[in-house]
Amino acid sequence: MAEMQTQNHSLPASARALLPMLFLAAVLTGCGGGIGSTSGGGSGQPGTGDGLSAAAELGKKIFADTALSVSGTQSCGSCHVAAFAFTADRTAAGPDHGSTVPLGGPNMDLPGFRDTPSLMYLSFSPDFFFDSDGGPNGGFFRDGRAGTLADQAIDPFTTPFEMANADAAAVIAKLRTRPYLADFEALYGAGVLDDPDTALKRMGAALAAFEIESNDFHPFSSKYDFFQSGKATLSAQELRGLALFNDPSKGNCAGCHPSTTADGNTRPLFTDFSYDNLGVPRNAAIHANNPATAQSYTPINSDDGAHDYYDLGLCGPFRNNGGLNTSGLCGAFKVPTLRNIATTAPYFHNGRFATLKDAIGFYVRRDTKPEEFYPTAADGSVTKFDDLPAAYGGQFIVNINVPGSDALYVGNVNTLEIPYNRHIGETPALGTTEINDVIAFLCTLTDGYDPQNPTAQALPAQCQAAALSP
Amino acid sequence: MKPAALNTRSTLILIAAALLPAAASYAADATSAGSSTEQKLEQQVELMQQQLDVMKTQLQQLKAQNEALAAQQQQTAQAQVAAAAAPSGGISENLSLWGYGEVYYTHPTHDGALTQFDLARAVFGIGYRFDDRTVFNSEYEVEHGVASADDAGEFEVEQFYVDHQLSSVASIKAGLFLIPAGLLNEHHEPTNFYGVQRNFVETLIIPSTWREGGVALHGSTQSGLTWDVGLTTGMNLGGWDINPEDPQYRTALDLINNGVGPLQATHQELSLANGQKLSQYVSLNYSGVPGLLAGASVFTGKAALPSVPAGLPDQRVTLWEGHVRWTPGAADLSAVYAHGQISNTATYNIINTGASNPVPASFLGYYLQGAYTVWQHNGYKLAPFARWEHYDMGNSYDGIPTGYTTVPGGLASDGKPWPLPHDRVWTLGANFYLTPHVVLKADYQSFDANTDLTRFDLGLGLNY
Repeated sequence: MAEMQTQNHSLPASARALLPMLFLAAVLTGCGGGIGSTSGGGSGQPGTGDGLSAAAELGKKIFADTALSVSGTQSCGSCHVAAFAFTADRTAAGPDHGSTVPLGGPNMDLPGFRDTPSLMYLSFSPDFFFDSDGGPNGGFFRDGRAGTLADQAIDPFTTPFEMANADAAAVIAKLRTRPYLADFEALYGAGVLDDPDTALKRMGAALAAFEIESNDFHPFSSKYDFFQSGKATLSAQELRGLALFNDPSKGNCAGCHPSTTADGNTRPLFTDFSYDNLGVPRNAAIHANNPATAQSYTPINSDDGAHDYYDLGLCGPFRNNGGLNTSGLCGAFKVPTLRNIATTAPYFHNGRFATLKDAIGFYVRRDTKPEEFYPTAADGSVTKFDDLPAAYGGQFIVNINVPGSDALYVGNVNTLEIPYNRHIGETPALGTTEINDVIAFLCTLTDGYDPQNPTAQALPAQCQAAALSP
Repeated sequence: MKPAALNTRSTLILIAAALLPAAASYAADATSAGSSTEQKLEQQVELMQQQLDVMKTQLQQLKAQNEALAAQQQQTAQAQVAAAAAPSGGISENLSLWGYGEVYYTHPTHDGALTQFDLARAVFGIGYRFDDRTVFNSEYEVEHGVASADDAGEFEVEQFYVDHQLSSVASIKAGLFLIPAGLLNEHHEPTNFYGVQRNFVETLIIPSTWREGGVALHGSTQSGLTWDVGLTTGMNLGGWDINPEDPQYRTALDLINNGVGPLQATHQELSLANGQKLSQYVSLNYSGVPGLLAGASVFTGKAALPSVPAGLPDQRVTLWEGHVRWTPGAADLSAVYAHGQISNTATYNIINTGASNPVPASFLGYYLQGAYTVWQHNGYKLAPFARWEHYDMGNSYDGIPTGYTTVPGGLASDGKPWPLPHDRVWTLGANFYLTPHVVLKADYQSFDANTDLTRFDLGLGLNY
């Protein structure tokens, strides 16, 4: 796998120069199917499909095939749309009708539980492991419950509120009807179809091959990439944003989202694949978080009187830790890449913040002005970390009128690292102008930049807003 | 080899020989028949007094030369122990076993909670003499008491080379060997330096124990000139941690141990070293005047670069230094100046704007040190010393846009300012030798800029 990655991520300079244009072409033709058209072309560029192995070509077909779902209308590409950096189309006109969480199921009316993560640069994630310090790392899904990329890829086929097949056999029964069945049999043998569980795993392998090999998922064509190779210059505001992003005493964003290569060979991925508990506020817009809209299949996991359901990330309820004591990990979610982050709103596992301005504002003012983000009573008491049970450090009551009321915190939420190491009334790590600078820099991580024609890249509106507010 | 210095017996003979003509002259004058006057006698006495004064001065000079030569020879002998495989031992007369080690107690005066006690290094060396012209030498080190995946300690090979004598004036060596830079790098045993720990210039700027893999020619002349020229592995800037989230050190001990110096961070120690680009060095030392050692060296080569970002310009790393040590009698005076450069750093620094540890364009350090043996008796020796040094790991930078800093301006996550990469340090202390091979040390180090680093240290060092 590593060799394949290296080969495909190391295009010659002439080929890299063509990436932005071809990526845009892929985006423009990707709606519905999720990716671009597949005819050859011989250039080996994103969207052409050329240069993919047979397994990856098969994966590409599976990725776009809505017939593999019970509804007949949902494919991998339905929730991972190329035009939205392989996350969901959350517009009102999209299949989820503007919902924070994706809709699926037999009738496409069953909501999920989390904001759809992007698939871009996901193939660089290591499989799930605990590092030498005991910290969780890698894995797939926001809680890392899929150990490998292939495991992740097949899970939605049998998830009731997604593609909704009853089991592997139901998926394979549909596979037998597909025009690419011969491709599958040629690769993995016809006999494997008689073992649905194994056959489904082979489908996962094909999907993983597609995500690994296709440059659609990792074009490295952002302005920042060209800046790194000396072919683009950051504006003064973007450079200020980069400095604030890197500076450990200011944004310290690079602490978890490194702007440098991790291994000396791979370009910066803007994630260290670790997990963190940021105490993100509860999002009432998620159906499961609202008793009036909660699905019948919501996993009830709390009787603390505050909520009967919490999404606790690494310690459940969707991840099974096999009886291990993971209480210290409750509420931690995987650190995502920031590449294309301007395109993948809303933000965090529960989509609580609609814009980068809101998300970064939360980072830097969570502790200095908690009343902005958490339930606040008339007497000034604030319930910080309201989407985490008290047993893990959630439901932390502070009072904005009582200095020092937040001094002693014991729990899982990260309160030590910059910018989270502040207290009520203190100066945030970043001010308003500085937040705009950081947004301007984050927008340079949007793929599809053309150094020969810089203004051709259509950046999201929030990027333009930040640029207008330097 | 026997010392060339004069011993006590030969000194007495010289004195007697010098006195004899004067005494004979006086006796002859006294017996001459009544011709001597009181004035003549006074002149004779005055002449004798002048002669005695001259002789006294000559004797003091001889004594000073004697002590200086003895000190120089002790130093040379220790160096030979470390650098060559002197045949001894019971297994084979060609096999030698040697070693050294040191234990530190270090107490930061501003934060006693950071006090540490450390078996800093336990080192053993194995040498083998294949024949009169060919020797193998190796040095192995365990740092910090325990070396395992879960501990800070490391097990390292610090030297591993074969040295072959080509002629009476030239030898060739190949393998992993020490770079002949400064006063300390090749003579880094704790009995050879003053202070509990090595000075900052010869750790942060000259990254002792600095070794590279390669091949070198070396030799010496009758006049006391030694030379060494080599082709070796060089630096790898891919190892540079340009944006650590937290300060890399909060104590002087960590400052030395954590590899923060520019060459500490990038030298490869022949551990799967990038060999695409090699470096060169040349070193000259002169010790033809008794008690004096003066030398200089230059090390230069293009550095290996990270493959990401692609297209970085070639970067050359150069370190040059000059050093002098003068040991007139009981005094021991030394000075080192070292200056390093890394070219073409601007591109890398610009794309990492705001990072907490940009790559410096230049770095330097220098120190002056004076020690004096105030007491020695029955093998014991006490030598207080004082050292003033200046180090600057970031003397200049390229590629830092106007208005941006090279050290984070805000507080670190521990609520303290980030340490500055430069400082002026006074070290006052003493070495107390139980034997020439076992030393107890104490010192106090005062930092001018990073005052939190000020500390008191105790140490035990030995070599064998």
